[in-house]
Amino acid sequence: MFNQQGLSLDQAPPISVVFRFFLTGAFFGILGGIMLLLFDTDCFDFSKPETLMLVHTFTLGVMLSIMFGALFQMLPVVAGVKFRMPTLLATVVQATMIPGILALLIAFDTQARLWFVVASALLGVAITAATVPMLYKLLRLSHHGSASGGMRYAIVGLLSTLVAALYMTGTYAGWWDGAAYLTFKRIHYTFGLFGWIVLLILSISFQVVEMFYVTPPYPEAFRKSAPLFLFATIVFFAGGLFAQSQPLIVASQTLLYLTVALYAILTLHRLSKRKRPIADATVRFWRLGTASAVLSAALLGVADYPGIDERFTIAGYIFFASFVLSIVLAMFYKIVPFLTWFHLNAQGYLTAPMMHEVIHPKVAMRHFYLHSASVAALVGALALDALLYLAALLLIVSFGWMLYLQWQAWHLYRHTQKTGERFEMPSPTPSA
Amino acid sequence: MNISHYMTDEHRACDTVFADAEQAVADGDWERAEKSFLDFSNDTLRHFKREEEELFPAFEAHTGNTQGPTQVMRYEHEQVKGLIGKMAEAVENKDKDAYLSLAESMMILLQQHNMKEEQMLYAMCERLLPPDVKEETLAKMKAVEL
Repeated sequence: MFNQQGLSLDQAPPISVVFRFFLTGAFFGILGGIMLLLFDTDCFDFSKPETLMLVHTFTLGVMLSIMFGALFQMLPVVAGVKFRMPTLLATVVQATMIPGILALLIAFDTQARLWFVVASALLGVAITAATVPMLYKLLRLSHHGSASGGMRYAIVGLLSTLVAALYMTGTYAGWWDGAAYLTFKRIHYTFGLFGWIVLLILSISFQVVEMFYVTPPYPEAFRKSAPLFLFATIVFFAGGLFAQSQPLIVASQTLLYLTVALYAILTLHRLSKRKRPIADATVRFWRLGTASAVLSAALLGVADYPGIDERFTIAGYIFFASFVLSIVLAMFYKIVPFLTWFHLNAQGYLTAPMMHEVIHPKVAMRHFYLHSASVAALVGALALDALLYLAALLLIVSFGWMLYLQWQAWHLYRHTQKTGERFEMPSPTPSA
Repeated sequence: MNISHYMTDEHRACDTVFADAEQAVADGDWERAEKSFLDFSNDTLRHFKREEEELFPAFEAHTGNTQGPTQVMRYEHEQVKGLIGKMAEAVENKDKDAYLSLAESMMILLQQHNMKEEQMLYAMCERLLPPDVKEETLAKMKAVEL
């Protein structure tokens, strides 16, 4: 083992670090489905606490959890960034994040000051503990690859989301009068959705779409400029809000949606040009995800015009969720089987299961249909309320399935370690 | 053409022939699969040989570090060679599911490996090696055959 900057053998963190974040994400997905079942169409009303609870269950519980897991796995590979004690760091993050999310949900439900304080403290620690070491290491890199450059902005985007959130929870807690509450609210969700989630997915795409599907690279000008452009657009949007400049707000929002749509169209085009023509479930998840991104950008783009039905906005956010969750599932079906095989193989187990033995592609394909049906039911519920129950049930099954597969992969991993025949490798290997 | 471009082009060429073998297996065209897979394994092994016999020693001689990135790359080459052996077995047995499953692992493993080389190791070579050493190493690499 060596500690030279840049490359290291045990690049991958212990498998349990990644798996635990994925398990948490699936758990919150089930919780989100249950909430949808209980809240009914109240969750389509942005003024209701139920909506805030549902949105944060998905954005924090599902998306942030899984994205942290993916970052722990990917940063060493794409940026040569290695964490000294990844298991300890992941434990600290999870031990504060899970109770923090639950406290926030209780806070939205009860509107009690104490819960807002508890949620702010726990989530503040969780997000800072995870992102500050990542950002510090990323900023020290002398050379940036396709993904690592954009990841810096995404992490700053997440920290900005947190700062704006703390202003709002501080208002609820009575620490200040919250005169700029509405401004910070818009900054919070714009940075959260676009400055963090979109920027991270976009940056990761530059690396993984090419890597998993062997596609032509994204146009260099787009790859180099899009992350900073997107980030700067959100900063201008925030500036427009503070300056109360409507033209700046409209212009920056329009540019934001256009950039998202352009990214999604470029990704769809890359996928259509891939050298590996086999269309497995993960390709379909990517296609559904990026097509949803185009629809989301279009719907949110027109939603602000006067006289437009509010359902356009809601549909825009449903497609946004479809964009993110589809890509999460695409990554899940690549990462979980690969890591299970990779770690066991690297540890010298001759009986290391192959990727298809961990999760068979047919299983992933069935999940794709289930997931697509849940998106269709959610959109359909905007016209027919009863479909919301179907959507909720499909979401519960979808995330339950994910939880089960994740658990099964972990079980297979442990079982192979306990019973498998091992060949001692001459070189150091990643540890479990 | 510099070292980085030359070696990156070789990575891409391997990807193309790999994808062709994968598609042939998926189509059940075992004759084409066997030929494409043989091309893939020969191209990959020749590329590894170029690195292990010429590029890595040049890097090690200049940096004085034999336990660093080059050792990692050699270790990963061994992992890839192990998978090539298993895939050859799957081609021989005409075992479509085993081949496609191994191909999935191979692709991710190889792409991660390539990414590290392209973004870090080759970049380090370009930055650290003197121009005459780079030129000489590239010429020697081109001459390597299996």
